[in-house]
Amino acid sequence: MPSKNVVSEIAGSVWKIEKKAGDTVEAEETIVILESMKMEIPIASPIAGKVASLAVTEGDMVDVDQLIAVVEG
Amino acid sequence: MSWQPEIDELRRREELARRMGGPEKVKRQHDGGKLTVRERIDRLLDKGSFHEVGAIAGKATYDDEGALTDFLPANFVMGRGRIEGRPVVVGGDDFTVRGGAGDAAIGSKQVYAEQMANELRLPLVRLIDGTGGGGSVKSLEIDQRTYVPANQGWDWVTDNLGKVPVVGLGLGSVAGLGSARLVTSHYSLMVREISHMFIAGPPLVARLGQNLTKEELGGSDIHARAGAVDDVVDSEEEAFERTRAFLSYLPSNVFELPPRAACEDDVDRREEWLIEAVPRDRRKVYDMRKVIAAVVDTGSFFEMGRKYGGPVITGLCRLDGWPVAILGSDPRFYGGGWTADAAIKVTRFIDLANTFHLPVVNLSDVPGFLIGKQAEVDGTIRHGARALAALYQARVPWCTVITRRSFGVAGAAHGNHVRLHYRYAWPSADWGSLPIEGGIEAAYRSELAAAEDPKALHAEIEERLNRYRSPFRTAEAFLAEEIIDPRDTRPLLCEFANLAAPLREPGMTGFAMRP
Repeated sequence: MPSKNVVSEIAGSVWKIEKKAGDTVEAEETIVILESMKMEIPIASPIAGKVASLAVTEGDMVDVDQLIAVVEG
Repeated sequence: MSWQPEIDELRRREELARRMGGPEKVKRQHDGGKLTVRERIDRLLDKGSFHEVGAIAGKATYDDEGALTDFLPANFVMGRGRIEGRPVVVGGDDFTVRGGAGDAAIGSKQVYAEQMANELRLPLVRLIDGTGGGGSVKSLEIDQRTYVPANQGWDWVTDNLGKVPVVGLGLGSVAGLGSARLVTSHYSLMVREISHMFIAGPPLVARLGQNLTKEELGGSDIHARAGAVDDVVDSEEEAFERTRAFLSYLPSNVFELPPRAACEDDVDRREEWLIEAVPRDRRKVYDMRKVIAAVVDTGSFFEMGRKYGGPVITGLCRLDGWPVAILGSDPRFYGGGWTADAAIKVTRFIDLANTFHLPVVNLSDVPGFLIGKQAEVDGTIRHGARALAALYQARVPWCTVITRRSFGVAGAAHGNHVRLHYRYAWPSADWGSLPIEGGIEAAYRSELAAAEDPKALHAEIEERLNRYRSPFRTAEAFLAEEIIDPRDTRPLLCEFANLAAPLREPGMTGFAMRP
């Protein structure tokens, strides 16, 4: 099964986890919502599949390119 | 006696030149997934339009009687041709001849192509696949001397940025001067996997202890994200297609105006969903690319630099057929706040628009510069100030639509405030020196510190201030000229493009684009 690393394109804090490991996701569906510049920035799955693992928890600070989740297609 | 023998000799030499580096080297080029320079030129240009210059320049071998026995062409093929019927100059490295290295070059050919584009005022397309002009240390043995380096042709290369559209296509592994030639252009791209770019390649870098593959050191995605090139594509065919598209928005030179195309789209088209494009919840983001696509002529948006400077979207488009440069904010990157790279992107883009007389439409939603330690470390204010300078130096017609936020110095950079405020605001507009959310702590620090219940006081102040936040209050004072129904955006922008068209002034600009 192809797996895809979902990384953050921005720096910010993890505001809300929308999907947990094991959940199924559609392509473009939000996995995690970051907060940056007082905005909610959704981090979406690039593919449909299952969240294999989550690399962050709510409140974490994330950097550009940091791994957010792994999705298995 | 006619001159037929000489013409036969000419044809023979041309035939030898067309073999390039020979069948074996050509096969290697194809096996590497790459087209040869001649195939590239044929596919880029209108069919059969290539007129080659300097075809028989190269290294010839003669026998004792002075008869030609062999011929290796120079590793740069160039000439004139047409793209969508318009004349252009094209020049490409021939990697099958000594890997495109300088020691197999006749340097004056590259310089000639640059000069030809400049003096004939024709767009220039560089097909880059080789080490460029830098040469290798092998030349030491051949010349038995060394030399003080000079960047050959750079006077023309630089001048061309202010005279004619220049497109750089990275179609192989390029290093040194080749890399500089690729990026010294108005639009540059690399083809994924077959193209790499370095200041110096893996063998030299290995001596620093960095053992990296070509892809790891100078892959196309690295450079697109760094903004060293504008875009990455998946095939050479796509690279040529984007080249043709890019040039279609631009005049052939700065002494002409961008050409209008036929418009199939309805100028009065009003997309219903635009009324709810911006969420009422200020914390929620939206898709500005979708907004852009909805207001420009259908299918005309040509984005450049997608992977770089994320808070800012830059591209070319048409409004009622007129070519226009379009800037937009992407709230999904820091709410549209300007990072250092976003500011650099803005500067280059305004310079491009100003150089080629493209009116600018700015769909702006900017909460300010990105704040925080990293923003300071990145020198954001310096790059932001350069963007401001580019904005205030620009002379092209400019129309801003404020879709939501406009705060601080970067928000104020939605337009040049001393020129006519040709601008609109959507009802979702929200502006000021500082957003209320962040500004209360700073402005009411002592009151909050002295309060028994600072949280309650904060909420009370916020509630009070929010009452003044409506853009209608700003418009009452004529500090915002027009608040519009978002669905009217396209008709109004088409009106702008038509009003702007006769105001465009051909000629050289004081500040041409810098790479």
